[in-house]
Amino acid sequence: MGWHFPGEHVEGSKEADERLLVEAAQVDPARFADLYESHFERVYAFIAGRVCNRAEAEDLTAEVFRQALQNLGRYEWRGVPFAAWLLRIAANAMADRWQRLAREGEAPPELPDEAAREDIERRALLFQLLGTLAPDQQRVLVARFVEDKSIRDIGQELGRSEGAVKQLQFRALQNLRARIRRIHPTPKPNAAGGRRAHA
Amino acid sequence: MPKPSIAERLDQGIEAMLGFGSPPSPADVQVQELLRIAAELRALPRKEFKENLKADLQRSSQMPTTTVSFIREGFHTVTPYLVVKGAAEVLEFARQAFGARELLRVKRPDGGITHAEFRVGDSIIEIGDANEQFAPIPCAIHLKVEDVDAVYERAIRAGATSLFPLADQEYGERAGGVKDSAGNHWYIGSPLGETHFLPDQRSVTPYMQVEGAPRCIDFLKRAFQAEEVMRHQTADGIVRYAKIRIGDSVLEMGEAHEPFPAMPLNLHLYVPDTDAVYRQAVAAGATSLREPVDEPYGDRSGGVRDPFGNTWWIATHIKDVQF
Repeated sequence: MGWHFPGEHVEGSKEADERLLVEAAQVDPARFADLYESHFERVYAFIAGRVCNRAEAEDLTAEVFRQALQNLGRYEWRGVPFAAWLLRIAANAMADRWQRLAREGEAPPELPDEAAREDIERRALLFQLLGTLAPDQQRVLVARFVEDKSIRDIGQELGRSEGAVKQLQFRALQNLRARIRRIHPTPKPNAAGGRRAHA
Repeated sequence: MPKPSIAERLDQGIEAMLGFGSPPSPADVQVQELLRIAAELRALPRKEFKENLKADLQRSSQMPTTTVSFIREGFHTVTPYLVVKGAAEVLEFARQAFGARELLRVKRPDGGITHAEFRVGDSIIEIGDANEQFAPIPCAIHLKVEDVDAVYERAIRAGATSLFPLADQEYGERAGGVKDSAGNHWYIGSPLGETHFLPDQRSVTPYMQVEGAPRCIDFLKRAFQAEEVMRHQTADGIVRYAKIRIGDSVLEMGEAHEPFPAMPLNLHLYVPDTDAVYRQAVAAGATSLREPVDEPYGDRSGGVRDPFGNTWWIATHIKDVQF
C-alpha cells in the first residue's frame, strides 16, 4: 500500500468516500470542485514549504490542479490515496520549474517523507482552521501576515486602537493553537524545514 | 516598570519576524509557541486565490470534451455589430447595395430584430435593433469590393446619402462614401495600383474614428495584443490613418476631424480565453459593461467600453448551438 497522511489509513469510510468523489469527478468533471475543496490546503502547504515566494506557490498550485483536472481519467485507485497522486504532480511540477530555471546548487523538491508529510498535514489544517475563526480575528491575521499591514493600519481599517488590535491578534493565534491541539495533538513544527512562501 | 502584556510581547516577536525590532526572549515559551503558528501563516495564499482558482477550474471542467474552435464557424476575430433603429431597413439596404446574404434573423414579438447576421463578401456583420438597454451605435465600415462604381451607384439607389463622391485616391484606392438610413458610414473602395489594402484584408474592415488615436492604439496593444501594421502620422502627431491587426482581423483607424467626428464602434471580439482578455482590457483602462457569463447561444461573453468609447463584446465560442 502507498503512503498515507496521518489518520487517513485508519478511516476506511473516509477512503471509500473519497473514492466515490474521484469516480464521480471522472464521470462528470464538474464534480472536481469537491476534490479541490478537500485537497487545496494540502497541496498549497506542500508547495509553499518549498518555494520562496507566495506568487510562485500560487502559480504552482494552480498548475497542479489544472493538470489533475486534465488527467483525472488516468488516475487509478489501487490503494494510492488521491492526495498522494496530487503531491506527485506537485513534486513533478516543481522539479520541472527548477529545471527550467536551472537553479544551480539547489536540490529539486522530492516527495515528502513521513516527518514532512506530518508537517504538511499540520500546516494544511492550520490554513483550514483559519476559516473557522471569528471574522475580525481572520481579518487581523490575513492583514498582518498576507498583506503585511502594520498594527496601526489594521487599527484604522477596523476602527480600533492599536492595543485592541494586538489583543485581537493574540486571541486569534491562541484560538488557532487551541483548535490545532484539539485535532492534531502532537504538533511537530518545522519538521520539513525548507523555505516558506511569504513574499 | 510593569512587564508588557502577553499580547504586547507577542506583537514584539511578530515585528521581529517581519523584520522590524528585536526578537523576544526565547524563554517566553507561550509567546514562542504562538510565534511558530504566526510564522506558518506567513505562507498563506492570498484570500481570493482559492476562490479564483476554483472558478477557473469549474469553467474548464464545463468545457465540452469535443474541441470546438474558440471562434464560431464563419466568423473572424473581429466582427462589427450594428445597433440601430430600423435594423430591418438596414438589412434590406445591405442586400440591395452590397448583395448581402442574410444568415440569421431572431425577431422580437413586436417585429423588431433582436439579432441578425448577414454576410458581405467574405465577412459577417451582426445587427440588432436598439432598445432601452442598448442605445444605437452607428458604425463606420470600410468595404472592399471589386467594382466600386457599381456598388456606390446601387447604394445611392437603395436610399443612402453620399458622404463623399467616387474618386481615385493617391493611397491606392478608388473610393466613395455613403451613409445609410440608420447613420452607419460605408466607405466603399476597390484597390487601385499600388494599394494600401493588405493581401489578407477582408471585404469588411471596421473603421474606428477616435479622439486620441495614438493612445487608442496603445490601449489596443495592451488590452488585445493588437499589432500596429501601418501608421501615417503628421509631424504634429495626428494619426491620419492606421491599420491594426487583432488576431486574424484588421481594423482601420483615423483621428476624428471635421466632417468626420468621433464614431466609436461596437465590436464582437473572439478570443481563446474571454475571462483573461476581459481582465486584461479592464487593467488596460476599459470600463466593465458586463462580467463574462456563459450565453445560451454557445459563447462565453463579457463586455467592456474602452476609454475612446468603443464597445467590445469579448467572447469565446464554447459549444455549437442550433438556432
